[in-house]
Amino acid sequence: MKLLLIEDEKELALSIQKYLTEKDFVCEWVDNAKAAIDKISIYDYDCILLDLMLPDGNGFEILKELKDQKKAEGIIIISAKETLETRIEGFNLGADDYLTKPFHLSELLVRVQALIRRKNFKGSNIVSFNEIQIDIHSKEVKVNKNKIDITKKEIDLLLYLIGNENRVLSKSAIAEHLSGDMADMLDNHDFVYAHIKNLKKKLNEAGSGDYIKSVYGLGYKWKNE
Amino acid sequence: MNKKLLHKTSRAYLLYSVLILTISAPIFYYATERLYLKEADDTLLLHKREFLKYAPSTLKNADIPVWNSFNRNIKIDTIKQVTKDTIFFSSYYDTLDAEIEPYRELNFPVSIQAKQYTYSERINLVETEDLLKNIAILFFAIISILLFGLFFITKKLSINLWKPFYKTLQQIESIDIDKTKQPDFAKTDVEEFNRLNSSIQKLIERNTLIYKSQKEFIENAAHELQTPLAVFQAKIDTLIQRSDVTQEQSEILGSLNENVARLNRLNKNLLLLSKIENDSYSDKQTISLTNSIQKNLAFFTEQAKAKSLIIKMELQKDFEIKSNQVLAEVLISNLFLNAIKHNIEAGEITIAMHENKLVFSNTGQPCPLNTDKLFKRFAKENPSEQGTGLGLSIVKKIADINNWAVAYNYKNNLHSFSIIF
Repeated sequence: MKLLLIEDEKELALSIQKYLTEKDFVCEWVDNAKAAIDKISIYDYDCILLDLMLPDGNGFEILKELKDQKKAEGIIIISAKETLETRIEGFNLGADDYLTKPFHLSELLVRVQALIRRKNFKGSNIVSFNEIQIDIHSKEVKVNKNKIDITKKEIDLLLYLIGNENRVLSKSAIAEHLSGDMADMLDNHDFVYAHIKNLKKKLNEAGSGDYIKSVYGLGYKWKNE
Repeated sequence: MNKKLLHKTSRAYLLYSVLILTISAPIFYYATERLYLKEADDTLLLHKREFLKYAPSTLKNADIPVWNSFNRNIKIDTIKQVTKDTIFFSSYYDTLDAEIEPYRELNFPVSIQAKQYTYSERINLVETEDLLKNIAILFFAIISILLFGLFFITKKLSINLWKPFYKTLQQIESIDIDKTKQPDFAKTDVEEFNRLNSSIQKLIERNTLIYKSQKEFIENAAHELQTPLAVFQAKIDTLIQRSDVTQEQSEILGSLNENVARLNRLNKNLLLLSKIENDSYSDKQTISLTNSIQKNLAFFTEQAKAKSLIIKMELQKDFEIKSNQVLAEVLISNLFLNAIKHNIEAGEITIAMHENKLVFSNTGQPCPLNTDKLFKRFAKENPSEQGTGLGLSIVKKIADINNWAVAYNYKNNLHSFSIIF
């Protein structure tokens, strides 16, 4: 999977690049609009991560360029600027997702994964991990081919954990992922524990391995035994 | 008690008039009396001179009884003997008026045909009582006419004179620094009012400018913080992936992570507040309150479960409001989360809708909250808690821009927050 990261903040770009590369993505990085447009016209990418505020121009110009070139890349806007207008304009110009800074790298990763899944969707849309199978479209989870009773939130959590396999996920990152728009108002992240506990229990009862590990003082990690 | 401007001036006028009149009345009385007495004495002396010039030469002794019988006020006394001129007060009984009247009397010796007599003339004086009464009436009349006149003139004058002042006052009263509309003071022909208006105008302009730049500052600061926060967050996310972190380091990282999350929330909420202030959410639509509450109910129920709270809904009647969709949801979410956050273990939350009122009641600490600080930014009851201290001020702000009222009360161990639409 090939990604293009267009971001002028070097430190942030390096962290994103590192996190995604470790997840087997090829992540190219440019820090200005001109270089970005050059890259786009030569290569094809599976996904483009686009910062709207660039030193030599506006991210919207890149979106227009992509549209003009009839490129089919998935685009995720990553921006510090968040107003309803910029969101709407972004989506109108062909962006697929919008992530406001600051964000967790784990969140960015699952968004990229989800976008690529959507783009490459061919009839079925299944994420598998050993004996676990998640049908994203029909919202079903099977363990050893047996359907288990699971809530939408738990599927969401499961996808997030599997997507970030071998990564330590902090409690606040999980909480923010699960609470979506409410995250900014939520001061208490204790509900994460209850969700993790329930998911763990359901998977164990269905005979799945014990993949969810606690990481002392930090959070949780999905790890293949 | 506050008095109007007109009352103040009228009162001063009244006091001054009463003071002057009370002081002047006795002086006036005394002066009038003196003048009158002097006039009477002069008349008596004039009559004496006239008498002495013409009478003694023509008058005979035998005529005296005739004289006396025809003159009521000038008698030639045959018995009384005076040696020199005397003027004195005396009183006589007036048979017609049937009362004793005061007189001024002049006696002097006169010789008619070599015989000594006493000339006695009297002049009726006005009674003191009558004089006092008349002066009092006169003064009362003057004072009344004067005051009424003053009052009406002042009233008429001040209405006209102070018109620009009241206009300015009205404009200042209707100023809302949040709104961009500046007051427009009309030019007057009074220098002082023009000065007042231009100073107020300058003051308002300056304040609006300061307010605006402060607003911009908050928004810019919050915006500028986003990027370093993003880097901070990303670096922590990277650092926690390292396999060689010790238990002690992971505790530090956990705490760092929690605090950067808190910083994020704080920043996002500040940004939200300044966006609301900048009218970024101005498009309004009709929204069903029940729907807005139901929409995120599952999320809130989940949050409430951690504290084993019971949520009671009394939403028999739906109510439609006109507001921005995003803000309406932010308002409800903040109230809901507030009710959860400050609740006690196994407590209760009631959401009720009456007429035009939405009420969130919750159990909590067993004493009322400090209402002075409740809706202020960063005014937390307990400074060590994890909240941003912005939730309720966002609620208040949203209510303010929609012209809704927010009320808090504490009754039967329940803290209630009401939004009155």
